[in-house]
Amino acid sequence: MNSISLSQETYTQRLWRHFHADKFALNGLRIVILLFIVAALAPFLANSHALIRVADGHVSFPIFLSLEPIEWRFLLYVPLAGLVYFFRHRFIAHPGIFILAVIGFIAAVEIFLALTHPINDPTNDRDRPASFKLLPPIPYSPIESTPDQFSPPTWKHLCGTDSTGRDIAARMLHGARTSLSIGFVAQSIALTIGIALGGLAGYYRSWLDIGICRFIEVMDCFPPLLFILVAISLFESQNNMFYIMAVIGLTSWTGVARLVRGEFLRLSSLPFTLAAKAIGANDFRIIVRHLLPNALGPILVAGTFGVASAILIESSLSFLGFGMQAPTPSWGDILSDARRYIDFAWWLAFFPGLAILITIMSYNFVGEGLRDAVDPRLKMK
Amino acid sequence: MTMPLLQVENLGIHFGPTVDPVKAVDGISFSMQAGETLAVVGESGSGKSVTALALTRLLASPPARYVSGSIAFEGRDVLQLREGELRSLRGKQIAYIFQEPGSSLNPVFTIGYQIREAIELHRPEVRDVTAEIVHALDTVGIRNPASRLGDYPHQLSGGMQQRVMIAMALACQPKLLVADEPTTALDVTIQKQIMDLLKDLKRTSNMSILLITHNFGLVAGFADRVVVMFRGKIVETGPTAQVLQNPQHPYTKALIECVPKLGQKQHRLKVIDYAGIQ
Repeated sequence: MNSISLSQETYTQRLWRHFHADKFALNGLRIVILLFIVAALAPFLANSHALIRVADGHVSFPIFLSLEPIEWRFLLYVPLAGLVYFFRHRFIAHPGIFILAVIGFIAAVEIFLALTHPINDPTNDRDRPASFKLLPPIPYSPIESTPDQFSPPTWKHLCGTDSTGRDIAARMLHGARTSLSIGFVAQSIALTIGIALGGLAGYYRSWLDIGICRFIEVMDCFPPLLFILVAISLFESQNNMFYIMAVIGLTSWTGVARLVRGEFLRLSSLPFTLAAKAIGANDFRIIVRHLLPNALGPILVAGTFGVASAILIESSLSFLGFGMQAPTPSWGDILSDARRYIDFAWWLAFFPGLAILITIMSYNFVGEGLRDAVDPRLKMK
Repeated sequence: MTMPLLQVENLGIHFGPTVDPVKAVDGISFSMQAGETLAVVGESGSGKSVTALALTRLLASPPARYVSGSIAFEGRDVLQLREGELRSLRGKQIAYIFQEPGSSLNPVFTIGYQIREAIELHRPEVRDVTAEIVHALDTVGIRNPASRLGDYPHQLSGGMQQRVMIAMALACQPKLLVADEPTTALDVTIQKQIMDLLKDLKRTSNMSILLITHNFGLVAGFADRVVVMFRGKIVETGPTAQVLQNPQHPYTKALIECVPKLGQKQHRLKVIDYAGIQ
């Protein structure tokens, strides 16, 4: 309709086109998505409870008895988030009804979990007799000790077993949830702090900028792993998953803060910031609705690399014995076990090491692909 | 005589050190009546843009220092207002259009979204915001406005972008429109279109316009009165025709003469001889 305009594609479409052309990035993204699906479905892929069990003409689903409350939440809230996203346009049209529905759903799930928490049934029903049984692909729970100790990879134990006979494949699948969620949540915490502090420093400048920059420099003086180890040893009694997420997040925001500060310094001196001010927008609106969307590309790139490094930090922590508490499986924890038996049990080191390598590499490919896609100097194509 | 819409008294704005500061605006006074069009003319660095931004205290302080005087808009001194009161003044009472339309629009949002923001900020009573946006775009001469709402700034030409800026300013129905060199970044034909548009708006609404420019060519036939600024001071003021035909101050004469005229053979373009002006 208009001969003057050069292209009608939006920023997101252009970003996706460049990202799509990068095969490494695209495959990296596919692997990351696959990992998330595997992690989400871990209890259904590796479990000592049968998926479906028929005994005495009675059909039951023992697998649901084995789910922890957090797994229930995961199973119910992820589809909820998907539904909200799918109906987002109607959500905007009738926010009241939708918010009520979402809150109602969450309340129902929480009440259900509070009432049925003792439902968790640790008994192993894999070997119980039944007329029909559908077992998960890996019929072992990650914390279950089988009689086969140090079994090398066989058809029975695809990735072998460790010193107490636990199935490595099952531990890896469940460990993926730990590693991925720690990477994701820790980096979200880091991004939140980094964007908030970097944004304030870059927008208000003057003494606030000086203060925040000096704080960042002080934080950067500590070697990150040492810093985290000290923080964890101070609160050793509480080293559950959320605590480790928080510690990693609280110590790795400085890079994001520097980046956001730089972007905000640049953006806030552009005329559109003055124009937004001239139309009567307040500082909060200018920061959140005008500057932040413009800085989103570089932040996304940094965030992607950050997830990879958070996963690596978690693995290092578990390897050093400062990570998850004993029964919770994580990749670093399996590696840490491998240390003592590496002379004969190669599979203990090989499979978790490979998993970490593939995950970190995929995230880095995604990050590099994004970086190239948002870089305006490469938009010649 | 009724109270003027805008009354600037002895305004002084300094930058830099307190000892021997840069006096960007050095004790200027002028006033505007409602519906009047005033042009502030001067070169780069004469203090005209600083004056324009100071009207709603858009100049951050520091680095700028408002050292003296008052800016009374409808009787209220802008320099004494609190931040919240300033925000309801900006856009709603005094709206701006700037020199570079391309970079004054946020590149990541559609033009419809940006005009919507202006309306939602200042006219919460409007029920059909989309119709209001379409109306604003129609007023500034954008053809087929309804289909343009989803366009991003980079998809528009410079002239179109400036029209969108004007539509955004008009959407808030301000009493005073400050046009800070609105045509400097545009080529001559677009310049004329934009000036014609502003003339139309002036005729159809009771809005006052403060035009900031270095180009006397734009002033003739547009402004009711002219204020000439030189080195932070007002050197001459008067009705447009009188200033153009019979300039009193040597700087005004020099400024008028240095506008090149088409069809006139000149060996050299006249430049301002600063030594002759004191």
